[in-house]
Amino acid sequence: MSWAPGTAAAGPARSSVTAAGLALSPAQALTVVVLCALTALMAHLALAVFNDGVRPFLLDFVQGRTTRAATTAVAFGLSAGFVFGLGAPMALSSGVLNPWLLFLPTDVLGILAPRTWLAALLGAGWGAVVVFGLNGANAFAHGLPVDFLTAMQQLSTPILFLFTLFPVLAVTRQFGRLRGAVTGLVELALVVLTMRLWPHMFAGAAAMAAGVLLLIGFAVAADLRRGRTAGEEPDRSATQEATASLFDAGAARLRRRLPLFMLLGAGVCALAQMKVFGGGEATSFLIAKGQYAEAAQVDFYRMFGFLPLIATTALASGAYGIAGLTLVYPVGYLAPNPYLAAAAGALVFAAEVLALSSLGRVLGRLPSLRDSSEHLRGAIGEALGLAVLFGSLMAANAMGGGLGLLVCGGLYLLNEAMGRPVVRTAAAPAAVLAGGVVLNVLYWLDLFTPVTAAAP
Amino acid sequence: MAKILTGGIGRDEVARTVSGLGIAGLHIAVANDMDAAGQLRAGQADYFLGTCHTGAGASLGVLVGLLGRSACHTFGRGEPTEAEIAELLAGGTTVFGFCLDRIDTVAPRLARAIAAARP
Repeated sequence: MSWAPGTAAAGPARSSVTAAGLALSPAQALTVVVLCALTALMAHLALAVFNDGVRPFLLDFVQGRTTRAATTAVAFGLSAGFVFGLGAPMALSSGVLNPWLLFLPTDVLGILAPRTWLAALLGAGWGAVVVFGLNGANAFAHGLPVDFLTAMQQLSTPILFLFTLFPVLAVTRQFGRLRGAVTGLVELALVVLTMRLWPHMFAGAAAMAAGVLLLIGFAVAADLRRGRTAGEEPDRSATQEATASLFDAGAARLRRRLPLFMLLGAGVCALAQMKVFGGGEATSFLIAKGQYAEAAQVDFYRMFGFLPLIATTALASGAYGIAGLTLVYPVGYLAPNPYLAAAAGALVFAAEVLALSSLGRVLGRLPSLRDSSEHLRGAIGEALGLAVLFGSLMAANAMGGGLGLLVCGGLYLLNEAMGRPVVRTAAAPAAVLAGGVVLNVLYWLDLFTPVTAAAP
Repeated sequence: MAKILTGGIGRDEVARTVSGLGIAGLHIAVANDMDAAGQLRAGQADYFLGTCHTGAGASLGVLVGLLGRSACHTFGRGEPTEAEIAELLAGGTTVFGFCLDRIDTVAPRLARAIAAARP
């Protein structure tokens, strides 16, 4: 690691975060449990789900065209892979909680529960399982002869640095090689400059900001050009009316429950403030290192990839995101204390829900910007895919050398050959966890000597 | 002649995969969910193939709400058989969603089935 930890804003809960140990204070544990109860309740009422894929299915559920059981099956099918493949390994390797681990299961449990109180109870139960189970799993795994959790910290460098590039990939895919190359050069120069001038700062922060701003600039320029030359096509007005009425109904449903959403926003924002939770794919590793200002920047720019998707699915289905437009994450990281974070979170959610209708109309007029967000999400997936694969192989090498690479790389390739029963992004870390178990068994059988120089 | 629109994260890859098959009578174009909804309703296009990370909700975007549940089907991360696709097509499904990492198998299968259903 080339940058030192702990230069950003300090919070009261800071001392409880260690390199790779999930040690929550009683107040933090209670916040997690209560928040999980609330998120399960929101899912039960079909008012909010974390999984963007589940949200469109809630429209049929709300209107009574599908059953609770069928919707639960959909939610489980869409979420399970990301809990065990993304949420759990990331929490174990970073020592920081993440929304995939906490909120995907509460989506499923909330929809599953036939009664409101049961939904809250199951959600709270899951929160408790995560808080206490992960603590135990962590302690147990660190005590094993082959410590695969310490090895998994190898994931952080490739994730942080390749994630920096995601705007470049999005610009290249949407606006071609020339602008992609320009964006790439700008980002590279900023990374080099940041490393030279501010060695204690996360090197990708400024580069990522520039990249996302360039992409948004290109997209808005393209939309303005198109608006001047083409104007509105007459045959689409019927669809626009249908969209408008569908969106208005969705927005109205959300506005009716504004107090509940403010409560949800307060909870998520307070959790983000406690420095034991990272909202984005790369953020967990920054939070673990105490770089809250950088984490806030990363998640702020990441928001542009998800904002149009969350806004349009929310308007179309009448169900919101558990983290809203994800603006509460950066607000939470930067808040000085949990109380202010809760107040800010409530206000952010209120503003988001009230602005959703106009946001939908603006997005409808800016098709290039909506495309940009799809490219951003695609680019996040691609950058993350390579980073996680490479980081996982480094982890395999750190814990078992050649044999580790053979077992973990082999499991990954086997998953590919079998038609990917485990999602691709999740396959590599899952292979490291499975490989770690295999190597421990081999050690126990006296067939393997651990590599002692594992990563610090 | 059938016009297929692609959407979602993998829309370029789906368009490339399907046009690479060289099936006669298929016209394929890259779109997004909002545009596709307009074209499908106006009869300017016949089918929509959407992709996302899970193969479900986000792959179809607003199409479920605008065209109705009965016109839409998502395979999630599964790989449907030719018989399943033929049955859906016969039943009037025009909007299909599937997972990004299943494009190489699902997209050609869907394209062939659509071509077969519309001689």
